[in-house]
Amino acid sequence: MAAAGGGGKSFSFKVVLLGEGCVGKTSMVLRYCENKFNDKHITTLQASFLTKKLNITGKRVNLAIWDTAGQERFHALGPIYYRDSNGAVLVYDITDEDSFQKVKNWVKELRKMLGNDICLCIVGNKIDLDKDRNVSTEEAESYAASVGAKHYRTSAKLNSGIEELFLDLCKRMMEAAQVEERSKGNGGGQSASGRRGVQIVDDEPQAPPTGGCCSSG
Amino acid sequence: MAQRSERRRIHLDQSDLLCTKGCGFYGNTAWQGLCSKCWREENQRDKQKQIQDDWALAERLQREEEEAYASRHQKAQSQAAVTPFNKFEERKTKEKSSKVNTVTKFFTPSSKTPPKKGSPSSCSTANRPSSADTDLATREFIDFLKPLKYGRQIFRQCRAFTESMAYKRDMGVEDMSECVQDFYQSLSERLHTQFKGTKMLYVEGIMDEVERYMTTRLYKEVFCPETSDDEKKDLAVQKRIRALHWVTTEMLGVPVDEEIPEASDSVVKAITDVIELDSKRVPKDKLACITRCSKHIFNAIRISKKEAASADDFLPTLIYIVLKANPPRLQSNIQYITRFCNPSRLMTGEDGYYFTNLCCALAFIEKLDGKSLNMTSEEFDRYMSGVQVSPNWPPVDGAALTQVHERLDLLSGLGERQELVMERARQLESDLIDWTDEVEQNVQSILETFEAPVSSAIDSDNVENEHLPPPLTPQVFAG
Ligand SMILES: Nc1nc2c(ncn2[C@@H]2O[C@H](COP(=O)(O)OP(=O)(O)O)[C@@H](O)[C@H]2O)c(=O)[nH]1
Ligand SMILES: [Mg+2]
Ligand SMILES: [Zn+2]
Repeated sequence: MAAAGGGGKSFSFKVVLLGEGCVGKTSMVLRYCENKFNDKHITTLQASFLTKKLNITGKRVNLAIWDTAGQERFHALGPIYYRDSNGAVLVYDITDEDSFQKVKNWVKELRKMLGNDICLCIVGNKIDLDKDRNVSTEEAESYAASVGAKHYRTSAKLNSGIEELFLDLCKRMMEAAQVEERSKGNGGGQSASGRRGVQIVDDEPQAPPTGGCCSSG
Repeated sequence: MAQRSERRRIHLDQSDLLCTKGCGFYGNTAWQGLCSKCWREENQRDKQKQIQDDWALAERLQREEEEAYASRHQKAQSQAAVTPFNKFEERKTKEKSSKVNTVTKFFTPSSKTPPKKGSPSSCSTANRPSSADTDLATREFIDFLKPLKYGRQIFRQCRAFTESMAYKRDMGVEDMSECVQDFYQSLSERLHTQFKGTKMLYVEGIMDEVERYMTTRLYKEVFCPETSDDEKKDLAVQKRIRALHWVTTEMLGVPVDEEIPEASDSVVKAITDVIELDSKRVPKDKLACITRCSKHIFNAIRISKKEAASADDFLPTLIYIVLKANPPRLQSNIQYITRFCNPSRLMTGEDGYYFTNLCCALAFIEKLDGKSLNMTSEEFDRYMSGVQVSPNWPPVDGAALTQVHERLDLLSGLGERQELVMERARQLESDLIDWTDEVEQNVQSILETFEAPVSSAIDSDNVENEHLPPPLTPQVFAG
């Protein structure tokens, strides 16, 4: 899987975390980047901007995860946070119907502002509290499908489903980036929007040609 | 200690007092042990040499670049060279529909101010940035590029582009920003190809220096330019923040307890850093101020809350800090960074995250109403009109701010005095040189007048010192 030196491309992605307060955004990202949950030994200075380096099928990925202020009074600032994002993780709490409604509002807004340029993940968190569930998985999944998003089920507490969520998101963003790269190549490279979009950079030496005359002689 | 060594200097050997070049005149520690004549010669030579070196380098760069270009031009026209000028022409004719939704857009809705009339392009020459800063930037840029492969080529291109931009001030800052951003992009794409096989950070490092050189050179033209209404907005923001002086930590939901000394200390440091933003020229340096400010905020939160700060904590605290600091030309600084910073840094980097939060803070402050502070609009109006006074304003919070402003005043006062001292020192130096010259001349003429008798009086083994000023010199000084 981790065959190094493959394509030699590296990706940088920006992902925003959106959702009502207390649904577990901060817990999720701290679990993912530092494998911590409700950690009382505060060794982390902040949990608002975290990064993770991944290696996906030989390609390096730098993931920057932007936490956003969830208070209602800051809602109008959303566009400043999510501009130029490659992905958005929209979190709701499965025990809180309201928080799912908030996710729907975010989806509407994001599609309106960014169209299909952004990979959307709808995440039902706190699945460890299934006995108090107030949002049905079927409903959430069919909603996600209807808006071109993917649905995930996680628990920051039990560390369940979070790795999978971000890995899957990265793969989708890589795909989207490569599609854009290809269309840019065909379109004569005049797109001004490409500049502030994804960066794809060659940063590894090309693997030397294998085989050839040297091996025989 | 220092005093003693000062004192010891007075009892120096006679030979230590002589010019180290051995010309026989008295030397002076202020002139690195040389006499006035040799000092001037040396100094002149150094300066001359530096100038000549720079010219030689510039010329060589130019020549080599042209040669390289000529040969490349014949071989392959297919290679994608950086052609910002063509791009610019292209852009002028192209409609501007494809632009992305930027922060700039967010702050400046639809109306685009037309360039002010009657700004002849000739005045851009007069307003060029003080040469000292740009010369230093150029020199540092050259020093950085010297050891690099393609260094000359990079320098040539950046210089040519920057010079051309400096004279296009009347084209409007948004278009200039587009040109610069296009230049960054095409240059970085080419560098990534040229330096294939190096780490991504390598090219980013070069791009940092490119940005430093170009923005230092263009700063005066593109920071708060008169063709934009940035200045007007700066004043509006400043006034707005002043009018909101009554907003408390409780109203904003700031999780910082300023009763804790370390927390309030971090608050003061954060305020100082965000004020300092305005004093930097290079976008990267400005961003560093915002990042430092943010780290102090995190510290204040961590101490107060005993947990790592999330965005829910950070943003309100940053808003509070901005209200306390009322940073000079905040709007202009944000615009400038948005327009001329290397976009990759703003997009995915940590600096970009804090910068985005600062943009949010400003947007929030501009739109702030009763609802955003969880109060009725009547209550809000009462505060705004000064009828109602907030419970804990200004005692605790005010102290910190006053302290910061006092320190800033003190610092700028010190700066002025330092300059004055420097000026006087230079004056003194030149006076001293003139005075020594005068004394030398006097001595010379006296010696010439009394040539025969004096020479006979001089010790025979002291011949090389015949030009020494007579021992009565100190008396002249004392008088
Ligand atoms: N049971 C359970 N609690 C969680 C989970 N994730 C977060 N929490 C709790 O939910 C509360 C809010 O979490 P936080 O990460 O601050 O939410 P945010 O406001 O969206 O950032 C905290 O008390 C967490 O301990 C989870 O998966 N399961
Ligand atoms: Mg949070
Ligand atoms: Zn001398």
